[in-house]
Amino acid sequence: MTSQEPAIEVRGLRKTYHRAFRKGGNEALRGMDLTVPEGSAFGLIGPNGAGKTTFIKSILGIVQPTEGSIRVLGGSPEDPRIRARIGYLPERLHLPGTWTAPAFLATVTRLKGLPVDPAGNLRLLERVGLSDAVGRRIGGYSKGMRQRLGLAAALVGTPSLLVLDEPTDGIDPMGRMEVRRILQDEVQRGTTLFLNSHLLAETERVCDRVAILAGGRVVREGRLEDLARGGVRWLVRFAPGANTEALVTAGFVRGVAEGQYVVEAEDPAALNGALDRARAAGALMVELRRDGTDLESVLMGTVEAAA
Amino acid sequence: MDNRGRRRLWLVVAAMLFVVAAVLMFTGQGEEPAMETPKVEFPRRMRAPERERAERRRTHVLPVQVDAGTQERARPRDPLLAALPRGEGKTAVVIEANALRHSPIGELLLDCLMRDGGKRLQELRNLSGVDPLQDLDRLVITDEGMMLSGNFGNAKFKELLGERVSMDYGEGARVYEPGDMTVTRPDGSTARGRSEAAVATWNNELLVIGKSPDEVKAVVDRVEGRGPDEPPAISEGSTYGEMYGVLSVDQLARLLPKEQAELADRIRRVAQNVELHVDASGDVAMVAEVRGANGDEVTDLGKTLGAALSMARIKAQAEGEKDLAQLLDFARVQPDGTSFKLEMAVPLDVIKQRLAFCKEERSAAEAAER
Amino acid sequence: MKPVLGIAGYVLREAMSRKFILAFMVGITLVLTVVALSLRIEVVDGALAASRLFGEEIRSSIRSVDVALRPVYQAAAFLVFYGGILFGIVACSDFAPSLMSPGRIEHLLALPIQRWHLLAGTFLGVMVLALGGTLYGTTGLVLIFGVKAGYWTAGPLIAGLLACVGFAAVYAVMLTAATLVRSAALCAASGFVFLVGGIIAGYRQQMTPFFEEGFGREAFRAVTLVLPRLSALAVAAGDIAASTPLEVRSLGLLLLGVLVFGFGALAVGFWRFEGKDY
Repeated sequence: MTSQEPAIEVRGLRKTYHRAFRKGGNEALRGMDLTVPEGSAFGLIGPNGAGKTTFIKSILGIVQPTEGSIRVLGGSPEDPRIRARIGYLPERLHLPGTWTAPAFLATVTRLKGLPVDPAGNLRLLERVGLSDAVGRRIGGYSKGMRQRLGLAAALVGTPSLLVLDEPTDGIDPMGRMEVRRILQDEVQRGTTLFLNSHLLAETERVCDRVAILAGGRVVREGRLEDLARGGVRWLVRFAPGANTEALVTAGFVRGVAEGQYVVEAEDPAALNGALDRARAAGALMVELRRDGTDLESVLMGTVEAAA
Repeated sequence: MDNRGRRRLWLVVAAMLFVVAAVLMFTGQGEEPAMETPKVEFPRRMRAPERERAERRRTHVLPVQVDAGTQERARPRDPLLAALPRGEGKTAVVIEANALRHSPIGELLLDCLMRDGGKRLQELRNLSGVDPLQDLDRLVITDEGMMLSGNFGNAKFKELLGERVSMDYGEGARVYEPGDMTVTRPDGSTARGRSEAAVATWNNELLVIGKSPDEVKAVVDRVEGRGPDEPPAISEGSTYGEMYGVLSVDQLARLLPKEQAELADRIRRVAQNVELHVDASGDVAMVAEVRGANGDEVTDLGKTLGAALSMARIKAQAEGEKDLAQLLDFARVQPDGTSFKLEMAVPLDVIKQRLAFCKEERSAAEAAER
Repeated sequence: MKPVLGIAGYVLREAMSRKFILAFMVGITLVLTVVALSLRIEVVDGALAASRLFGEEIRSSIRSVDVALRPVYQAAAFLVFYGGILFGIVACSDFAPSLMSPGRIEHLLALPIQRWHLLAGTFLGVMVLALGGTLYGTTGLVLIFGVKAGYWTAGPLIAGLLACVGFAAVYAVMLTAATLVRSAALCAASGFVFLVGGIIAGYRQQMTPFFEEGFGREAFRAVTLVLPRLSALAVAAGDIAASTPLEVRSLGLLLLGVLVFGFGALAVGFWRFEGKDY
């Protein structure tokens, strides 16, 4: 999707927490620059204490920056009109235990300045998989159900920007799939998704862009496939009984595991040529994958390098 | 406006609001000390000064009685209390003239008495040799007549009553029968008159005025221990307040206006005895204790009286009579089995307002004299 | 104004679900019911002739019903004033800290409302709660004595409203304290301190001579000049409830002053809250 103005644009963002009766302060963000294109699914990853939560709070106006500029959806996050277009799910959302989900959503709707739409809110609850728990008090919800309700609250008013802090925390695998589907639907609808999750696999599956935050700075940022690209090496596994010599002659190098080989190919044509040669030698391919790095390896590598 | 500017604005607003609040509260509450709410002290029991006063008045020691070989020294008694009528249903009201004279209400009454600049009072002093403001201690009104106690050492009884038939009686009394009186005016002229009252003086302490010589003699007998054994109408324990005494039920009923005839009848029927105490040391407060034989009937009578007072108060409020309504604010009936106490008060301010003209006239008269 | 009302509704809804508040309402109802059912009053020509509680005769004087009920209404006014403020301090001490708890405050601050809306809404919600409780109790009292004694007066209701204004000043301070430190205990402590301070401020004239002339006396006068004069308001509430003359020079100005103090305290809270990170 082309974008005229980024959904989030942060320049030179610094945040120092000062404590009373203490000199200096704790620098959470140290001159952070980041641009989140409109309509993208953006993941923010980084180790604990990197400043991820401070950053999210900064772009929502919950934390006031010490220095730098923040523009969200073309305006300041201090402007309620801008915040009206943001859906936010905090990391540990505290929900009123004695309320029911529809009552909570009605209050959120009202506070968002929207007309209360009970039917719309019920549809939202159905969408996050809480239709069976509509009449129950929130206090009786499981952690996963609370997260779903938090997601529903974030989705109230079909926001242009969704800022989700650990949205699948506590949700079971089936639920995660559902949540992922909802988020993908939202992105498809044109919503910008800004995701902070410890579950890197989740980020990998949902986001198309990722930024790695370490020590209060963005140390790496870009398209996920670019960050995770492993180069020209491919891992191939052949069925037992393949002729090793013929495969080595065809350009394959024997790998660590039984039947596993590595081949280097610059492009798809070279890869298929090598595979044709192997097949001609009677080898039957059972698995093929790029010998790349996953997000975890990227994160570890980047953070270690930054340190 | 950015966040910093907004914060500065809130701080300025806060400071301004605190200043405005301080001014408003300062003006609203006022800095002058709060006015004491009128508090009326009702005479419900003897207080220490009254106990001491009663003690001081026990001056008369009866002669030693010799009975069956035992010699018992009698306790000194208050001659005035001893002089009071004996038995149920008698009326005796004591006015503590000396205490009243030194009370706020006494000051006001004195203004009224001296409206002519004190001429008449002076005339009375000259004629009788008695200064009512100095020599008079108590004044008693009974069914039988009147008694005055105090220091009558300078009294000109002989000059005033010398023409009457008189005799010594008992140990220290002189009884004057009804008869003519000659009064010598300050200018030397004389005026003659006749009084049907019998008078007795006792040790220059008591002056008894009665209908007949026998009645005043009976009073002297009671003072000197020759009277009946029944206790006096007012016991020493009841001598509190600036005015106190017992009223016969009939007397009380007669005090009620004609439109309260039904209530008067009920009082006659139900009540047996009414004890009255008036305190004038501050506001004028009155306590009347009404006793009867039948508890239920007495309680009902109390309720009726309470209701009558309440109605009077409502009427006063409706008719805009603030003073009267304020007066009746303090009115209440306190039932207690076969008796009840009726309490009423007149705030001093109300009396001051009513008697303000006396002070003005006295000042004017005194100024004119100067 | 809509967001303020929205937050007030949020706070009210939260409050109504609290057992503490519900128990209080049930308690008031029970007391009123017990009084209504057990109190027998005999009125003769506008005089309170006899009264019985649980069948036992109360030894009291026979006097005009309004005069007889004065101490009752006066005691009720003081109970509502001081008891109500004390209960309010305890019961409402954790509303603001709970609203500012992690996981909730971020959610609220991310909503399209101004920060001061949040505080003002909390204040309004608590005030509505206080007003509701007070009016419920005092109206019940007025109804009971009105029906039983035939004496109708709005005095206790007005006294209740004065108590609410007093509580408004105290709660504004508590709310501001919550923006400084998110602690229900400190919030309640600040309320207690200002309640005591407010009682002292009301008697500043009588208490000033206890301080030695000089700095001490002037400092006392300066501090108590600003503090809300709660005891003066309580005395006025008692006077109004009992329909006796007021001792203060102008109740309107005093009332406004206490209310404006509350708004001043609230403005300090807004200042602090606007600059606070959560």
